[in-house]
Amino acid sequence: MSSEGDNGMERLYAERLARYTTAMRNERPDRVPIRPFVAEFTARHAGFTCQEVTHDYDKAFVAARRCAADFDWDAVVSNMVYVWTGLTQAIGMRYYGVPGIDVPPDVGFQYLEPGEGEAFMKADEYDELIANPTAFLYNVWLPRVSSEIVPPGAASSYRSNLALVKGAMAMMQYFGAFGTQNAQLRAESGTVSAIAGIFKAPLDILADKLRGYVGLSMDMCEQPDKVLEACEALMPHLYHVAKTTADPLQQVPIGYWMHRGCVPFVSPAQFDSHYWPTVRPIIEELWRHGHQTLFYAEGDWKHHLESFRELPDRSIVYHVDQADVFDVHERLGDKFCLSGGIPNFLLSHRPAGDVREFCKKVLDVVAADGGYIMDASAIMQNDTRAENLRAMTECTREHGVYSGSPSSPPPAPIVAEGSLPAHGGSTTAPGQCIEWATRAATLPTIEGDADLVEEVWNSIDSLGNVFIWQWLLSF
Amino acid sequence: MPVDQELFDAVRQADRDRVAEAVRAAIDRGAPVSSLLMNSMVPAMREIGDRFAAGEVYIPEMLMAARAMQAGLDIIEPLLGTSDHEPIGRVAVGTVKGDMHDIGKNLVVMMLKGSGYEVTDLGVDCPVEKYEEAAAGGATVLCCSALLTSTMTYMEQVVGRFQKDPAIKVIVGGAPVTQRFAEEIGADGFAEHASEAARVVSACLAGE
Ligand code: B1M
Repeated sequence: MSSEGDNGMERLYAERLARYTTAMRNERPDRVPIRPFVAEFTARHAGFTCQEVTHDYDKAFVAARRCAADFDWDAVVSNMVYVWTGLTQAIGMRYYGVPGIDVPPDVGFQYLEPGEGEAFMKADEYDELIANPTAFLYNVWLPRVSSEIVPPGAASSYRSNLALVKGAMAMMQYFGAFGTQNAQLRAESGTVSAIAGIFKAPLDILADKLRGYVGLSMDMCEQPDKVLEACEALMPHLYHVAKTTADPLQQVPIGYWMHRGCVPFVSPAQFDSHYWPTVRPIIEELWRHGHQTLFYAEGDWKHHLESFRELPDRSIVYHVDQADVFDVHERLGDKFCLSGGIPNFLLSHRPAGDVREFCKKVLDVVAADGGYIMDASAIMQNDTRAENLRAMTECTREHGVYSGSPSSPPPAPIVAEGSLPAHGGSTTAPGQCIEWATRAATLPTIEGDADLVEEVWNSIDSLGNVFIWQWLLSF
Repeated sequence: MPVDQELFDAVRQADRDRVAEAVRAAIDRGAPVSSLLMNSMVPAMREIGDRFAAGEVYIPEMLMAARAMQAGLDIIEPLLGTSDHEPIGRVAVGTVKGDMHDIGKNLVVMMLKGSGYEVTDLGVDCPVEKYEEAAAGGATVLCCSALLTSTMTYMEQVVGRFQKDPAIKVIVGGAPVTQRFAEEIGADGFAEHASEAARVVSACLAGE
């Protein structure tokens, strides 16, 4: 059923994909790709409230597609307003402020970090986490973050059972919808879905979702060895999530959301002892498998750029938030592609002329030899001015064109097994909840095809694993 | 009274138990509580704040030091009320409406307490009315924190509310806030760091 229009869109998509991936490999495409991480801005542009796009992901998808088409961008995140309240309501997730319920309808959803005393994991629970992170998340963490789900040992309840069933089905439904969304982006406007998969650092996970930042800071002083052990126990699981959610075609990078692993949230010594040693092997292993990681470096990581230089050339795309994009370019530009660095303050509160002027400078200096992607510093909420995004886009079209023929991206690295420990200190393999051996021990001797039974068990069991780790990382 | 070296060191080294012990020992010796605060704890905290601003210590150390200081304040504060101690100023600190970020705001609270001010922590998501209440309660300097480009503009409303009241100063800070922005909205001051906030408050109170 291919028509002229379809072919045109496919050509456009291929052109954009080549532009985007060439830049990400730190090479020079035909022109600077534009890949704005627009979040609640999409809602405003499409005429929806924040409540509408958070409660109805179809509207969020429409809004993202509308932006991609209207601004003619090369790549966008298929839904940067990633929290769908159908899912969070299904299990009564406590840690979100929901537009229209907890916050006004036109304010974006918000993650609410509990105070020190109310942390979802207690200071003396490290051993339980380390022994079996997946079981800990199900048995201890989930009942604390959910208003519905009861812990093992408590009387089971109608609401608890319902919450688990609805939550799991809602997650499947939501994830399934992304496939259609990406295909529609491609077919309607030739736009590339900018990232695939998710990674967060073990230390950030401990702070964000388990101990809270203040609690973790205290633990780092009072029981640093336990914290390190926990980070190591989380590593294989977080690697597994990143690897299994990554782009199988190895074209677009894994999103790595970097919250509080830099100075001054940690000391340089803590970065060296805890943060970096439990991140670096994962990034290297992903690269060995051909996957780039997008370092979404929130805040200013200027103290750590030398550490990032330890990574193989081109293995990451480095996104600049509050750091000085010119300085980062000088210090990392020879090794990695950079993105972002256009201050949100300019985009939200200054005239379009100021935006143009800044973008032009970035294009002239940072993008000069390729390896740069145009974007704001941080995700764009509904305070971003449309005319300023237009100025950023037009300026890039005008001044971001390279002369000469584009360079072609080098091939992905050769796949080789790395040195990542398979289980960390924990007893259960990443990706599983109840391993086949445990299950098999409860069954009579299998007379039929035992491999088939094992295969089906493992594949269904892994869904239980996806469910809990996605809660921890993505929502 | 001179510096109580043991107390000064205990705060500086963020040793909660030692701070409490040093305070109790000093009180038993008959040391005036207000002087323990102003001559020993405040200088120790100021030193830590300055080292934080200079990039020599980090948030975890600040949190530990503030906790140690608090252990001393818990003993001292009830006694201050019965002595003739007058705080060097009354300040209120809050993150503005719509904004839930409080790590930076909490550091500002710590540094102001550590500088000897009486500080009311207004928490996060503060509408103008919260600042009004604080002013009615005696605070003369109001500190606004914001971390989002979408909420920083709310500071203008707080500034506007007190513009005609020369007795109340409004100063602002937080990652996206700049000196230029502070001037544009007519704030009485801007501080880039928590320790600088203490200096800006002091300048405000001195009428500078
Ligand atoms: C006189 O008065 C004064 C004087 C000086 C003052 C002062 C007041 N206040 C501060 N100072 C000064 O003193 C302090 C010490 O020197 C300094 O304080 P700061 O506060 O600047 O610095 C702190 C010590 C450390 N800095 C911080 O604590 C902020 C760190 C980052 C990672 C951050 C965090 C931690 C959080 N966040 Co949020 N968060 C980010 C931040 C990115 C980053 N790395 O900077 C930022 C600010 N967040 C952002 C966003 C988008 C959001 N966050 C949100 C939520 C959260 C968490 C809950 C997860 C958590 C807050 C936890 C907490 N209890 O505070 C949401 C909004 C919630 C809300 N309504 O406020 C949410 C919308 C995300 C969501 N959808 O859930 C981005 C803002 C983008 C923008 N356009 O402005 C962001 C830049 C991250 C990013 N790159 O996308 C000085 O500025």
